[in-house]
Amino acid sequence: MSIFTPTNQIRLTNVAVVRARRAGKRFEIACYRNKVMGWRSGAEKDIDEVLQTHTVFVNVSKGQVAKKEDLVKAFGTDDQTEICKVILSKGELQVSDKERHTQLEQMFRDIATIVADKCVNPETKRPYTVILIERAMKDIHYSVKPNKSTKQQALEVIRQLKETMQIERAHMRLRFILPPKEGKKLKEKLKPLIKVIENEDFHEQLEIVCLIDPGCFREIDELIRCETKGKGTLEVLSLKDVEEGDEKLE
Amino acid sequence: MVLTSVGKMRALQKKTSGIRNICILAHVDHGKTTLADCLISSNGIISSRLAGKLRYLDSREDEQIRGITMKSSAISLHFEKGGEEYLINLIDSPGHVDFSSEVSTAVRLCDGCIIVVDAVEGVCPQTQAVLRQAWLENIRPVLVINKIDRLIVELKFTPQEAYLHLKNILEQVNAVTGTLFTSKVLEERAEKETESESISDSAPGDQIYDWSAGLEDTDDSHLYFSPDYGNVVFASAIDGWGFGIEHFAKLYSQKIGIKPAVLLKTLWGDYYLNTKAKKIMKGDQSKGKKPLFVQLVLDNIWSLYESVMKRDKEKIEKIVTSLGLKIGARESRHADPKVHLNAICSQWLPISEAVLSMVCNKLPSPLDITAERVERLMCVGARTFDSLPPETQELKSAFMKCSSEGTAPVIVFISKMFAVDAKALPHNKPRPLTQEEIAQRREIARRRHVEKLAANQGKELSEKPPSENTSEVSTGDTKGEEQQLNNQTEIMTSKAMKQEADNKESFIAFARVFSGVVQRGQKIFVLGPKYDPAEALHKLSSQCSAADDLPLVPHMTCCTLENLYLLMGRELEDLEEVPAGNVLGIGGLQDFVLKSATLSTSPACPPFTPLNFEATPIVRVAVEPKHPSDMPQLVRGMKLLNQADPCVQVLIQETGEHVLVTAGEVHLQRCLDDLKERFAKIEISVSAPIIPFRETITRPPKVDMVNEEIGKQQKVAVIHQTKEDQNKIPEGVEVDSDGLITISTPNKHATLSVRAVPLPEEVTRLLEENSDLIRTMEQLNTSLNEDKKTHEINQKTIDRIKEFKQKLEQSLQGRKWRNAVDQIWSFGPRKCGPNILLYRFEGYKKSVWQCLENAVKEASKYRDFDNSIISGFQLATLSGPMCEEPLMGVCFTVEKWEMTKVGEVLSASSQDSGEYDALEHEQNEDTASLRSSYMAAGCSEDKHQDSDQSVPRSPEKTSKHKAEVLLADCYGPFSGQLIATMKEACRYALQAKPQRLMAAMYTCEIMATAEVLGRVYAVLSKREGRVLQEEMKEGTDVFIIKAVLPVAESFGFADEIRKRTSGLASPQLVFSHWEIILSDPFWVPTTEEEYLHFGEKADSENQARKYMNAVRKRKGLYVEEKIVEHAEKQRTLSRNK
Repeated sequence: MSIFTPTNQIRLTNVAVVRARRAGKRFEIACYRNKVMGWRSGAEKDIDEVLQTHTVFVNVSKGQVAKKEDLVKAFGTDDQTEICKVILSKGELQVSDKERHTQLEQMFRDIATIVADKCVNPETKRPYTVILIERAMKDIHYSVKPNKSTKQQALEVIRQLKETMQIERAHMRLRFILPPKEGKKLKEKLKPLIKVIENEDFHEQLEIVCLIDPGCFREIDELIRCETKGKGTLEVLSLKDVEEGDEKLE
Repeated sequence: MVLTSVGKMRALQKKTSGIRNICILAHVDHGKTTLADCLISSNGIISSRLAGKLRYLDSREDEQIRGITMKSSAISLHFEKGGEEYLINLIDSPGHVDFSSEVSTAVRLCDGCIIVVDAVEGVCPQTQAVLRQAWLENIRPVLVINKIDRLIVELKFTPQEAYLHLKNILEQVNAVTGTLFTSKVLEERAEKETESESISDSAPGDQIYDWSAGLEDTDDSHLYFSPDYGNVVFASAIDGWGFGIEHFAKLYSQKIGIKPAVLLKTLWGDYYLNTKAKKIMKGDQSKGKKPLFVQLVLDNIWSLYESVMKRDKEKIEKIVTSLGLKIGARESRHADPKVHLNAICSQWLPISEAVLSMVCNKLPSPLDITAERVERLMCVGARTFDSLPPETQELKSAFMKCSSEGTAPVIVFISKMFAVDAKALPHNKPRPLTQEEIAQRREIARRRHVEKLAANQGKELSEKPPSENTSEVSTGDTKGEEQQLNNQTEIMTSKAMKQEADNKESFIAFARVFSGVVQRGQKIFVLGPKYDPAEALHKLSSQCSAADDLPLVPHMTCCTLENLYLLMGRELEDLEEVPAGNVLGIGGLQDFVLKSATLSTSPACPPFTPLNFEATPIVRVAVEPKHPSDMPQLVRGMKLLNQADPCVQVLIQETGEHVLVTAGEVHLQRCLDDLKERFAKIEISVSAPIIPFRETITRPPKVDMVNEEIGKQQKVAVIHQTKEDQNKIPEGVEVDSDGLITISTPNKHATLSVRAVPLPEEVTRLLEENSDLIRTMEQLNTSLNEDKKTHEINQKTIDRIKEFKQKLEQSLQGRKWRNAVDQIWSFGPRKCGPNILLYRFEGYKKSVWQCLENAVKEASKYRDFDNSIISGFQLATLSGPMCEEPLMGVCFTVEKWEMTKVGEVLSASSQDSGEYDALEHEQNEDTASLRSSYMAAGCSEDKHQDSDQSVPRSPEKTSKHKAEVLLADCYGPFSGQLIATMKEACRYALQAKPQRLMAAMYTCEIMATAEVLGRVYAVLSKREGRVLQEEMKEGTDVFIIKAVLPVAESFGFADEIRKRTSGLASPQLVFSHWEIILSDPFWVPTTEEEYLHFGEKADSENQARKYMNAVRKRKGLYVEEKIVEHAEKQRTLSRNK
């Protein structure tokens, strides 16, 4: 073992450590910051751009290199590069600043896109643009939670945005055809779930065309199926009730 | 000091022969507004010292700051000449190309125009444009050559050189007029030819062909500008002088003793004065003599300038006395010689005198309106005058007479609406109080004072004698308080009222009376551009007036003229009535008139031809409020802006973007300023509009990027690894070499095999064109499926559908597409898009052509679930794998669809449930049908409900419906699974093929002169444009270039092309089609040659990848990009120890 003196030390800078536990031992490798995620996603193909050194450590900050027999025991090989690749793909990593930043930004955009896609301005029945939603999200100081799905967060955002601006989920247009017997009774039950009844036709069968909040769809579906014992039908006319085409302001 | 009172103006307005409606037109910075200033100062509205510096008609703040005019504005001037009094309605117009629409609005209202040309710069692009505009509107021009002082002071020309230069400019102007004339003659001839052709068809014996272009027979001498015609003035507006040639002719005829008529002819041209013979001789140049113009005119001006600039006191004195002028001591002692010069010149050769007398002499009064112009105004589009109804034709005489009698029909044309602050309106203006009002106010003040005193006294009283009459005092006190309160509220309300008035924008119509007398409070018809007098006359009698109750006629409304104004630049004066031939402002029309309209008391009046704009709006931007809650204000503001500006377009796009389309960058800036400060009063942000793309697939290419045949080359191992794993098709999905994808639902009950094939181009086009038809087909099919015959199918639609089917069959030929048309299952996205779903498996029969065959629906084991497949297909086509944009021109074929257990499970469940009687059986059937209609709903679940955890999933209580339960296993409802699987299958099928992006393309038409052709090409090729054709316009030197340009590259295109060509090329953009971008967005070099050619990373411009990544980034999708390019080059945070 070489003597541990300042002259024969190799100092690593900009280190991001990736750790993995195998066979009761902890192994670490020294990588560059902001590079590990790129390797995992396949954007970076050059291993030398990711690894600081092709050595497997027990503790990177102390510079303790893993013993050969431990490596063989844990990984079945003593090829350091191969082991590094395994640890890179399977180990737990420190997420670096820029990585975290881009990830959050991406999620933020994704949430805004979902919100813009699902919602309309109730006055004009036209969607808001993504940029506008992003700005509104910043205005209400929405912070992205990295471990929740973007769709879930988007629903949360819609709820919060409703307080500051005119925004609503785009309505779904449905058509029920209900048998006359249960029709009346069912209609009462359905009423609180329906936003707007556009058309009602009651001869032979009760036919209703209406707009609902998409969140209530499952409930309505369930209700109709149970109450009418499968005689009623439910049809989705449009998923999003939005204005189509360009409009000239005049 | 205002010399002319409003009363005088009113009197003048009645004398039609003394009215001149003129506008000033020129290139930007040639001195239009300065000239206007000089003319205004002659009326004493502004001081003559300030003339040229004030720019009185540039009333907007940004106009003053930028130093360019942005709107046309009118002013009425009084002019006296030879005992005759004239009323001149002067309209100043902007010269910047972005505001050429304002020029159009000005030109329409005038009978004549002053073309101003800079003596140094000569004829510029906009000079040509305005000459063309004047020509098209058929109004007569006169010429002012301005800034002659620059020739003396800046360029230091000798008089001789200056003369040649001026001659040159005159020739240039005449050349432009000449081209306009020849192109018109040629056009007319072409028209005649087509006509004669149709005639000569009947008489084939007549074979003589006329070779002459027709130019020889048409007289064009009256069109040209020449000083001896008296339609040219040489001027320097900044120094306040200008002269026509007849001024000097008169002067010298007395001095030299030559007849003025002779001098008039010879003062301009190749003539010289032979002093010995006292004769004017021809041919100055050959004899090396000074031309007459130089000797008699320019030399004098030059010497004056010289002496003043050199401060030669004696000489100045001599000149001044010889000219008989009086110069104030202040001017002659001023430090700046320019002031002195101005004082001398403006007295010697006053510009307003020269210009206005020319205007009065040479330009027509409203009475002299030509029959040709009337006909052109009255005939919309391609209609000829003869085709108009007879009542309308009679109106022509009213036009020609332009009479102000009460009986004459009123015809008014509104060329634009402009916004003014309500404060600026005369009736809202503070005016001096009358005597009674003053007295009244004094009385009120006195009373208030007394009350105050009383209240104070009351207080004092209450303080002093506490025991005595407290109750009384307290009542008095409360009274006082009450009054105070009242006063306060009064003040408050009046304040609020005032604020409201401040905020309100009033629209005033910029209009001209062509016939009759307009009176305040008159009821009148407003005729929109699409109004057809023939149609209306059918319904109404021609005698009816706007005051009657009338049946509704399209494009016609009634309104009352609330206010009439005399336009005096930024001021407005109230008028009671306006007789024919005048320019006026009309208030209170904002609800009836959008941008321009025709007003008339006679329903027979046709709407005037729409204004022809030189520049169409092409700069598109998206605007948004900074605060999302300001959206309603923005929309309202944009509506107002649209009304106030003749050349702006505002629209809301399907994406929810608010798009503003303007004529250019300067125009855009003005519109945004207006929006921010006047109309919306909110903060807005501006960005490039979102650019749509489409995704598609192509046939695999035969050659690679270096034109080598694919397959022969050796792959380079290091790099090609990326190619393989880029598509990332997960396990469980089988892909064969031909791109057939086989995939099963999560519960393994169904297996699908899907293949994606590119559609031929013509099929895609056909589908796009017929999307409406497809939608109706879809509606028909659904109604058929429900056994409802409510929709009576129109025979016409059936025929159209049949024709459409036939066309599809024609274009889908070949072995691959055998029977394809009959197997069409659905179109997508939204069931009417340009993508097709085909079925190619046995035992299924259903097609989109159902409505044609009236076929009964057929039960099969697939029927219950086919809606899921279609929904999956719709979802897949709505957002492609590259950047979630819709697909286009892709055909998916379902080659296999196996449902292993579902059918059995269904039947089993219904059989072994013993309690099910016959009725229940039927019900089960119903359940199935419910299912099928519920499929569509399933896709919504997929989209909307995946994550909708907040909605409680009610536990499956439907135990009665065993089939349902069986189908809805741990993976969710089966229909949902099927939709998801189908969608995945489609996406993988796409990824197995070479994918391409499609870009939206503009067709771009550019008019450019020959000298800037090269620069136009440079700009086009820089922005990935492609020139389709280029041709020369007959009779001119203008080229018309047709090109296509990706929409993505069009932002800033108009500005760049104008800058690069100094405004000589003007583009127009119209959306035309979608075009495949040839490069592969996923391309990486794979062969040795490509590797050599493009390098390892291949990061040389890949257009498609650039677009794709931009879209993905915008949408927050994953972009394959390294966060940090070089690991070692990051900032080191911990210090090296």
